[in-house]
Amino acid sequence: MSEPVLALEGVDSGYGDAQVLDDLTLHLDRGEIVCLVGPNGAGKSTVLKTAFGMLTPWEGTVQYHGDYIGGMAPEEIVREGIGFVPQTDNVFGTLSIDENLRMGGVAREDDRLDEVIAELYERFPLLNEKRSANARTLSGGQRQVLAFARALVMEPDVLLIDEPSAGLAPNTADEVFADVQAVNEMDTSILMVEQNATKGLNISDRGYVLDQGTVAYTDEASGLLDNPEVSKLYLGG
Amino acid sequence: MSVLELVANGLIFSSILVLGSIGLSLIYSIANFANFAHGDTMTVGAYSALVTFGAVGGLGGSVLGLPYGFFVALLVGAAAAAVVAIVTEKIIYESLDIGSIGLLITSIGIAFIYRGIIQIRFGADFTRFDIGALRPIEWLVPYGVRVTLHDVAIVISAAVLVGGLHVLLQYTDLGRKMRAMADNPDLARISGIRTKRVTLWTWIIGAGLAGAGGVFLGLFNQLAPRMGFNLLLLIFAAVILGGIGSVYGAMLGGFLIGMISQLTPVLKMVGIPIGIEYANAIAFVIMVVVLLVRPNGIAGEAT
Repeated sequence: MSEPVLALEGVDSGYGDAQVLDDLTLHLDRGEIVCLVGPNGAGKSTVLKTAFGMLTPWEGTVQYHGDYIGGMAPEEIVREGIGFVPQTDNVFGTLSIDENLRMGGVAREDDRLDEVIAELYERFPLLNEKRSANARTLSGGQRQVLAFARALVMEPDVLLIDEPSAGLAPNTADEVFADVQAVNEMDTSILMVEQNATKGLNISDRGYVLDQGTVAYTDEASGLLDNPEVSKLYLGG
Repeated sequence: MSVLELVANGLIFSSILVLGSIGLSLIYSIANFANFAHGDTMTVGAYSALVTFGAVGGLGGSVLGLPYGFFVALLVGAAAAAVVAIVTEKIIYESLDIGSIGLLITSIGIAFIYRGIIQIRFGADFTRFDIGALRPIEWLVPYGVRVTLHDVAIVISAAVLVGGLHVLLQYTDLGRKMRAMADNPDLARISGIRTKRVTLWTWIIGAGLAGAGGVFLGLFNQLAPRMGFNLLLLIFAAVILGGIGSVYGAMLGGFLIGMISQLTPVLKMVGIPIGIEYANAIAFVIMVVVLLVRPNGIAGEAT
């Protein structure tokens, strides 16, 4: 079996003195969409923040392609090839859409920035239409698209996405999930936290059910969806 | 004094205030604290220019009644203010993990230190740049406006600096990063912006502009160890009026507060017995009234 692109092993992490993750182990293989589900406060977002360097693991390791990245600063992790789309405040509201995308590419070291942004405009015509508008003028769904696009400017190998459907109308959420799948099809492995567990797992290859900071269940996404116990306890079924 | 002359004075004073306000607002929005040493940073700029002018004042010809040496002194003053601010940031502010209120109080202490050092070296008395006074521009005198070429130089120089900052903020990579960081520092890091570098540049630009403002203040009035501190409350008023954290708001706030404070004598002209000694109070009253209507200031919250 090939090496995972991202692996957290035995990770304890949290905020200040408050521990959230407790001996958590999970991994993301190349090309996968993996969804983290679980109740509020289970530590789903904390996993992403720890993997992305916004929190330093107290114990355990975070590896990216086998290299230890735990505790590395986010602005350096971006340069390694991992992107992060936060749940809220995920666009620069006072900057134009074009400037948001340019900010997404500040860590690029080649001269393909304009080319990549042009490709993103082609893929997300809505952004192209409004490229000079300030991001704060966008609707919730449009902001989510911009937040994605901003993270994609780096052409990341791994994308961490925190609750892409949060606060969106069902139709808009479906569009965002379709975008997640489209990004994945371009060889970007995705680790996603999603409150709407059923929808999240429906587009995922595998899933982890987190409870009280550790992995309670893990299986193929379809396996989790079909698991009566998981369904009853965590999927509201 | 004619109303036109008051407007002219307002324009000159506003130019100085705008330079101070921009720096305070920039540093607030990116370093995330209200820097009470900002006024004294202006003083550092003014005295550094004074010393430099003493050495190079006789240099070459002159522009707008100011010897070339003055412009060299202006650059050195701005640079010295920037260097002092960076050293303070690196040695003191950056190493303190005490939150924005703790940093604010620390900056009050830093202000005393700057002022104390200047006072030890130069004494507490007023001093001036050794530049001969000019006669008012003749063709303006019939209109009741008595301003000199030095005053014109202040307004033009400030306009060039503000214009330069606008170009930097809107059209350069550094400017976009500064605006991004002021907007959302966490997202800036997530996007890969090396925020410490941007913060450092912000200190350089903010303190440099303050230093230049200090030099102009010294030229407009005179130099004294308390000159920057005395202006600080008006600068805060300007920044709050414009919308704290907004650079363009600070420009607007600086302009309005400067004009209002200099136009106070108009009240007497229309029969309201309030003199120039109430200029600052009037500026603050107007600030409070505006904030009652727009609590986030004229330009809101962000850059």
